[in-house]
Amino acid sequence: MNPNTAMNAASLATSRRRFLRGLGACLALPSLETFLPRASAAAATGIATTASGMPLRTAFVYFPNGAIHDHFWPQGRGTDFNFKRTLSPLEKMKANVQVLSGLDHRNAEPGPDGAGDHARANGAFLTGVRVKKTAGADIHAGISVDQLAAQHIGQLTRFPSLELSADAVRKAGSCDSGYSCAYEHNLAWRSPTTPLAPEPDPRLVFERLFGGGARGERAGSLAQRQQQQRSILDFVIDDARSLQRNLTHRDKDKLDEYLTNVREIEQRIARAEQFGTTPDPAVDTPTGIPADYAEHLRLMYEMLALAFQTDSTRVATFLLAHDGSNRPFPELSIAEGHHSLSHHRNDAAMIEKCALIDQFYAAQFAWFLEKLDAAKDADGTSVLHNSMIVYGCGNSDGNRHTHTNLPLVLAGHGGGALAPGQFRTVESTPMCNLFLTMLDHLHVPPAERFGDSTGRFPV
Amino acid sequence: MIFFRLRFPLPLTACAFALAGKVAAADSVALFEKEVRPILEEHCYDCHGDGEKKGKVAFDAFGSTAELGKQTDLWMAVLKNIRAGLMPPVKEPRLPEAALHALEGWIKSGALGLDPANPDPGHVTLRRLNRVEYRNTIHDLMGIDFRADAEFPADDAGYGFDNIGDVLSTSPLLLEKYMQAADTIVEKAVPLEGRVVAERSVEAREFAGSRVRPNREGLLPLSMYEAADIAHTFRVEKAGTYRVEVEATVRGSFSFDPGRAIGTVSVDGKESWRKELAWRDKEDLAIAVELKSEPGEHTVRFTLEPLLGLDRKPEPPPGEGALFANVDFGGLKIQGPLERKHWKAQPGYARFFPRAEPPDDPAAWPVYAREVLERFATRAFRRPVADATVEKLGAIASRAWAVKGTTFEQGVGRAMTAVLASPRFLFRVEEAQPGAPTGTHPFIDEYALASRLSYFLWSTMPDDELLTLAAKGELRKNLGAQVNRLLADSRAEELVRNFAGQWLQTRDIEGVSIDARTVLARDAGTEREGRERFERFRKVNEEMDVARKAADEMRLAELKKEMDEMRAKFGRGKRVEFSAGLRTAMRREAEMFFRHLLREDRSALELLDADYTFLNEALAQHYGIPDVQGSEMRLVKLPPDSPRGGVLTMGSTLAVTSNPNRTSPVKRGLFILDNILGTPTPPPPPDVPSLEASEKNADGHELSLRDALALHRGKPICSSCHNRMDPLGLAFENFNAMGLWREQERGQPIPSVAGQLITGEKFADVRELKHLLVHERRDDFYRCLTEKMLTYALGRGPEPCDVLAIDEIVARLQRENGRLTALVLGIIESAPFQKRRAEL
Repeated sequence: MNPNTAMNAASLATSRRRFLRGLGACLALPSLETFLPRASAAAATGIATTASGMPLRTAFVYFPNGAIHDHFWPQGRGTDFNFKRTLSPLEKMKANVQVLSGLDHRNAEPGPDGAGDHARANGAFLTGVRVKKTAGADIHAGISVDQLAAQHIGQLTRFPSLELSADAVRKAGSCDSGYSCAYEHNLAWRSPTTPLAPEPDPRLVFERLFGGGARGERAGSLAQRQQQQRSILDFVIDDARSLQRNLTHRDKDKLDEYLTNVREIEQRIARAEQFGTTPDPAVDTPTGIPADYAEHLRLMYEMLALAFQTDSTRVATFLLAHDGSNRPFPELSIAEGHHSLSHHRNDAAMIEKCALIDQFYAAQFAWFLEKLDAAKDADGTSVLHNSMIVYGCGNSDGNRHTHTNLPLVLAGHGGGALAPGQFRTVESTPMCNLFLTMLDHLHVPPAERFGDSTGRFPV
Repeated sequence: MIFFRLRFPLPLTACAFALAGKVAAADSVALFEKEVRPILEEHCYDCHGDGEKKGKVAFDAFGSTAELGKQTDLWMAVLKNIRAGLMPPVKEPRLPEAALHALEGWIKSGALGLDPANPDPGHVTLRRLNRVEYRNTIHDLMGIDFRADAEFPADDAGYGFDNIGDVLSTSPLLLEKYMQAADTIVEKAVPLEGRVVAERSVEAREFAGSRVRPNREGLLPLSMYEAADIAHTFRVEKAGTYRVEVEATVRGSFSFDPGRAIGTVSVDGKESWRKELAWRDKEDLAIAVELKSEPGEHTVRFTLEPLLGLDRKPEPPPGEGALFANVDFGGLKIQGPLERKHWKAQPGYARFFPRAEPPDDPAAWPVYAREVLERFATRAFRRPVADATVEKLGAIASRAWAVKGTTFEQGVGRAMTAVLASPRFLFRVEEAQPGAPTGTHPFIDEYALASRLSYFLWSTMPDDELLTLAAKGELRKNLGAQVNRLLADSRAEELVRNFAGQWLQTRDIEGVSIDARTVLARDAGTEREGRERFERFRKVNEEMDVARKAADEMRLAELKKEMDEMRAKFGRGKRVEFSAGLRTAMRREAEMFFRHLLREDRSALELLDADYTFLNEALAQHYGIPDVQGSEMRLVKLPPDSPRGGVLTMGSTLAVTSNPNRTSPVKRGLFILDNILGTPTPPPPPDVPSLEASEKNADGHELSLRDALALHRGKPICSSCHNRMDPLGLAFENFNAMGLWREQERGQPIPSVAGQLITGEKFADVRELKHLLVHERRDDFYRCLTEKMLTYALGRGPEPCDVLAIDEIVARLQRENGRLTALVLGIIESAPFQKRRAEL
């Protein structure tokens, strides 16, 4: 336990204010010019690039426990619609978002696997598959859509993808009716058995992206880290070679496997260095996880915005809180936990509180979109213009645990490929159809199927 | 049809068949013609010769006798089948004892060319530490717990175990994780300062004045509805500044509880912290107070003053446990004096650094660093480390010191990271004892032996005693005593968890998917009803969605009414669970049972049948055994008529061999064939209809499992294997998928569970089956258990060259009434464990 946590709240707030001011300055800098050569190199292949040669960014943001539908869905239809209370914070961004109704994750519904809707909803959200019911080591989901994209476009940036969360992490054991916690605490799956754990600490995210320490020192500290890593790699390669001399066939094969993989890491470091100078945003390094929840969420959104602006990555996931999160919202004068409230049994007071929480999450998201909208991209449009950002939940109605007609928002123009500014309602369609279309926009090699897809969902 | 499965999917390179100099080929052929062919002609040719080729086996289909002798796979199968009594089939005359011996003898010396004078130990492929071994090794080497099971991708398993050298691969991701882990572990484990502030804890129970008692974690669960006033007085001996941390956490029920209270902390009568507290599912309060003190006493007091009366506490929502809003009070941490001159040597520092502090003069650092690193690398690599390696490690430290502000310990830590990423740490490198005569297989050296022992019995690195003996070359001399010491140590629990846990699959019980509600409904015969009810609920729900979307208020009202009626009729359904607590008790039962046999050196036969087991109240209730109270697992003598006793009727075995919704006699039968008798059936051919598909042919009425299986077995392609599996599995039909005793399935009484083994022995019930296994199939069990444990001990599958070693161990088990040490020592003293294949 850190005795200073409470006492530091005040100083944290100051440092955050300084941070935000700094970020403002950063947004104004034409920092992206530096990245243009690479962007246009990518343009030649067309992968993850807009028509104007800008990086095309993709993010998936997950909010927990479904939504109160009466308040979530806008009034009207098509381009003629009005937000109701949950999405009302998006008013200023109305021309930049589309609300999508009618998309389903049928694989999150109960089958022979019984209870565990939160784990399934969370696990299926970006994978589209029915996750294996196990609390043991034999977890099995599917590769997630962000990671499928990262496999094709990850080499264009310093980081293939970025995984964020604002939730305390639990990695092992059973979380929801016999499902491993891995399903609820990860959105990104590099392979069906390998989730990528998200990072909740904004300081660690920042240091990973840009190096530690004060502005001006960061490149040095990153380089130092890389150099030390290199000396360790040199040592183990030497060691493996000296060992290899005394080995026979099958033992040699085993060691070869090891050596091949070490070399791969070596090459990756070399590649990272090829990207040349690391950007050094004009902001202070965040000091850690702030006590205030809204601030935590916004800091993580900041990190995401910075990563996109500096073209450090083009693929990201952000788990605001895991499905089933039972966090109370003292900031909204709500003392009860979100999950227990979401089982509202049609109690008006509980529904009201859920709606407030839904709106709270939407407000933070709106704040993020406004940041991206204010950040100018080198082609004169905004970073938001050149993005595709999914905001949604794998649970539809938290009270009844349904997984059809999922609450979803798709933000950004995809560099002109998307048609925001509308409320789209369709008959029951797999959410994976939307993913396939997004992959098409990224110009990655076309996939036949993803998860339970039945075709494309043109957006 | 011949019943065997080729159990060696890997190329048979582990045994050398360059056999010149053992039994000369010509002698082998002559012996075959004189002694073996007549036996084959009399007992086997009806099906496997003279034009017959059942099971695709014909002994006279090879060009020459020499060619026939080279069919290693065939002869291994023959050996297995004649020993297990599977061949000749039960309806044919048995092989006379003498013929059996002659055949066995020739197969070993002639066909397999085994040489008892210079036994081929086989080849163990370089083994990577698996996740369990990595975690344990890090624990023993570094003194911290690193959750390798959560951080690393799962290890592949082969031959039923996850420590098999050939199967343990290294993926790019794993290597990346190894690199990260090395960093994390060093950062966490290696103290970066020699001296730190002294710290001590005061437990919650040391506080006076509490009206509640500490819970299992030692915390006082103080309710926000009740006033609390607790205090503790402690003494400090040195003058200085102290920091007192009060450990308190708000904890609440799943659903909101409105309870609120004012919490305060005061020191020596002066209030230093006050806060209004309310329900959270979990929140650390992070209370810390600094005080300057002369030697003397201080009193810390914690109070809670309720803001809401108990009369205002609401009832929990239906179907949920009690509501609560508590402060879990955990006592104090007292740090100090904070002044540097009072700092104490850091715990754990001496593990890495022999001196209390590094030399003041950095010029003296490199020499000391090399001393530290040589010591560390020797332990980490589990054998002496080359000077050149120590030099390179020292260079890494020096490079780190070049960065301004890097401490001695930080630099050495960088080099330690390299050690933990090195293949000599991650792989188990073995060397041979020099000096073996040419043409013989040498012993492994004593360091390799120390590692084989510790990873076999402890799943971790050798301790100092083993390494010291190895360094002196005295480990082999003291082998028996060392094995006894290792088995008596608490780390031998790992052998239970990992060997027995995988052999008997008890490691899986906590994760296995069993739907308790469906299982119970199936027993009671209410399965279909339940399903239909569920479908109706779902349908009405969906229609309500449609109506809501269409704003059809009338239809919606109708549906709501229907829903309410259904709810009134069926209720919300009680939650039935196969609880985590019960599953854990089942795992512990099997583990404690095996540990008991090992510790008391009892007979392995008790694994098949015993008159005692290990239970706590919940598990005893599950088994219907009276008079066991409390959550503690303990040895319980079983009632004389109990069907329990032995692993086959333990809850864990019964559940892991079941499907989520029902028992699986097939899996249960296969479990016995595979893990008890050592004669598994081949995997089913493709396109076999599932049991559920067979059921569909029964005109829609629900079949008992026995009838469904009989239908399934009707096809000749299925019957050859299912005739072996099903009768064994059906003997357990009185145990449902959770291992509960039951008298009926689908509302009908369970039909007779009598059956017979493929070798002809008949049994009436599960108790007679156990008796048969213990008395009639004892050698099969001994051999099977030996093969399984040898596989685990060596980290490779059984090979033809192991036949002699296994036979010896089985003979020893027979002589020593199945004692477990006969098994463990037999394995450790065997050639495959002691020696290393010479590359001839």
